[in-house]
Amino acid sequence: MCMRFKLPNVTEMNDWIAIGALALVGVLIPLGMMAVSYLLRPSVPETSKRATYESGEIPTGDTRVRFNIQYYMVALLFLIFDIETVLLFPWAVVYLDAVESDAVSLLEILGPMVLFVTILLVGLAWAWRKGAVQWAQTPRQVETEHNRP
Amino acid sequence: MTVGVEHYVLLSMALFAIGLFGILTRRNALMFLMSVELMLNAANINLIAFAFYHGNLSGQVFALFTMALAAAEVAVGLGIILLLYRNFRDVDVTVPTTMRW
Amino acid sequence: MALLELPAWTTLAPALLLALTALVLFIIDSISPDAQNSGLLAGTTAAGSLASLGVAVWYLLAGVGTPTVDGGRGIIDVLGDQFVVDQLALFFMIIVAVVTALVAVASYDYMEDHTYQAEYYSLVLLAATGMSFMAAANSLVTIFIALELASLPSYALVSILKDNRGSVEGGLKYFLIGALSSAIFVYGISLVYGATGHLQLENIAAVIEAGEADPYGGLLGLGILMLIGGFAFKTASVPFHFWAPEAYEGAPAPISAFLSSASKAAGFVIAFRVFTEAFPVAETASAIGVDWTLAFIILAIVTMTLGNFAAATQNNVKRMLAYSSIGHAGYALIGLAGISAGGGELVMGAAMMHLFVYGFMNTGAFLFVALAEYWGVGRTFEDYNGLGRRAPVACFALAIFMFSLAGIPPLGGFWSKYFLFTGALEAGLIVVAAALVINSALSLYYYSRLVKAVWIEEPVTERDGLSQPVGLYAAIVVAAVMTLALLPLFGPVADTAVDAATAMLA
Repeated sequence: MCMRFKLPNVTEMNDWIAIGALALVGVLIPLGMMAVSYLLRPSVPETSKRATYESGEIPTGDTRVRFNIQYYMVALLFLIFDIETVLLFPWAVVYLDAVESDAVSLLEILGPMVLFVTILLVGLAWAWRKGAVQWAQTPRQVETEHNRP
Repeated sequence: MTVGVEHYVLLSMALFAIGLFGILTRRNALMFLMSVELMLNAANINLIAFAFYHGNLSGQVFALFTMALAAAEVAVGLGIILLLYRNFRDVDVTVPTTMRW
Repeated sequence: MALLELPAWTTLAPALLLALTALVLFIIDSISPDAQNSGLLAGTTAAGSLASLGVAVWYLLAGVGTPTVDGGRGIIDVLGDQFVVDQLALFFMIIVAVVTALVAVASYDYMEDHTYQAEYYSLVLLAATGMSFMAAANSLVTIFIALELASLPSYALVSILKDNRGSVEGGLKYFLIGALSSAIFVYGISLVYGATGHLQLENIAAVIEAGEADPYGGLLGLGILMLIGGFAFKTASVPFHFWAPEAYEGAPAPISAFLSSASKAAGFVIAFRVFTEAFPVAETASAIGVDWTLAFIILAIVTMTLGNFAAATQNNVKRMLAYSSIGHAGYALIGLAGISAGGGELVMGAAMMHLFVYGFMNTGAFLFVALAEYWGVGRTFEDYNGLGRRAPVACFALAIFMFSLAGIPPLGGFWSKYFLFTGALEAGLIVVAAALVINSALSLYYYSRLVKAVWIEEPVTERDGLSQPVGLYAAIVVAAVMTLALLPLFGPVADTAVDAATAMLA
């Protein structure tokens, strides 16, 4: 773990001039296009143009939609597994080196990760059995299912 | 001009201060969570910048762990905020005062 | 000699057993998710924590972690020095395991009708795993991860009574302050890492001793200050103590016992380890320009005074115990305040003894509150009036806990405070020693007030006979017996504590 990173030498000003020029061009092109179209286009005010989706659906309600709380569970499970992949990363980096070296046996490099994933799987299995991914039913749905022969 | 480690520290301190400011001024529990995330990420910037500076990787690996823990913290926190909303019909952290402060 | 042939990681068995038991609980619950066999769950939890306790005691007796010069098997490093198993670690693993076992047994009755049994017990075990790992963590990385592993289940446990407003409010405040303090803590770690380039405690110390951190004195100082903030949260000391009264009052009483005993002890063990291993007093002082023990001297005095004065004004028994728990954190902080370049073994050992005795007497006191909540007698001192006639055994145990907490000789609480007092005097901290005496005298007032209410006062209302829940009674009686048994056993405990402290400071 004693690699030394070297900071790239960016003291020369030329690089920065190029970056600045690129940024300038990047801003000027859209602004220029907007300015040209503003000067050229005819002005025909009409109410239908102000609609959110011209000749499309008429939007209803607010942009702030409330999601069903049951998505919370799904999101939570996703979040856990999504983030745990981050912990696989340092392991994956050293994995090939460790396999090739004689100092570390395959069990020593593979074992901890298998254990880690196993623990996660036990958790997932538990959550599944507890019905975390099951869509809860409204009382009415439960009733109709209950009355079904 | 070189981007030295001190710039990263300044950036992370600014981020940390923003997070702290958010915690002290916002009453919404979700805003509070976001502010805490900012503070944790400020620490991550520090860790990675210092790992680069010192030339060892332990800081970078620790940053990965911090990210995972931050996610876990959010998961638990959202659950508690959900309970807060169910019991008090609000996510304002100053609302629950059934006990004397 | 069979012990030596085992791989080094097996020395972490006390913590690993707790984790394994938590997994077993998950599997049990996966097999029958709808069954409410709380006996099986509580029994498994208690068995797991007792196994952890047994292994830790066995290791300690077998000399694992004792330095080889003292005839032991040497301090054992695990996972490239990320963990270390020494006497300090085993000592605190024992405290955690004992408290977990008591809490599990008591919860059997307290959580009887609760919907989330398996979740409750596995969260308790996961938190205990975190605390046990905190005892052995030897690098800022593992310390932070173990700390979070202990904290996250605790947040959930405090607010597990989902429809109880107090529980949710306590959990929320605990979580908010916990999240804030962990953010501050990890930022402090990043600054210490920046100043020294290492996260492993001995390596940090080596850099500081070599004087290489001197140019970054400011960063290091700020980092240390932020680390103190993290410890203050976990140990419920000033300035991050606000959560404690709310969380302890709102939480189910066994959880209050768990947090105020085991969690506090675990917070102290990382504070002890970090400050003795990573920041040698004299060299750190020359790098940051100020002695870090100064911070602990101030914190100890402020914490114990604030805790005790606030406790004296309470009418709610649980809240009184919560504030008194803050006061006891102040006593234990003397252990860090008294460390100096050449000494401090006695005072640090005394703080460890205090946390050990506290593990029994405070857990017992909170479990009595759990019993009272189980009976539904009410929460204030008046509501407790005259309980002694109805439930003499439990109330006798309560008297033992209260007098031990107050530090009446010859109970265990007296001896640990006595050692703290002499240790503080030896370290030249006369103000701290005086504050300790004054606060102990004050604490006698509110502790004896509870005993008086239970034994002497006439009951406000006539009560029917009180039930005798087996689990709660068993836990309370065991805690009381252990508090008393510590009288003859205090010598060995004190020796172990001082040995562990000496090994740390050597």
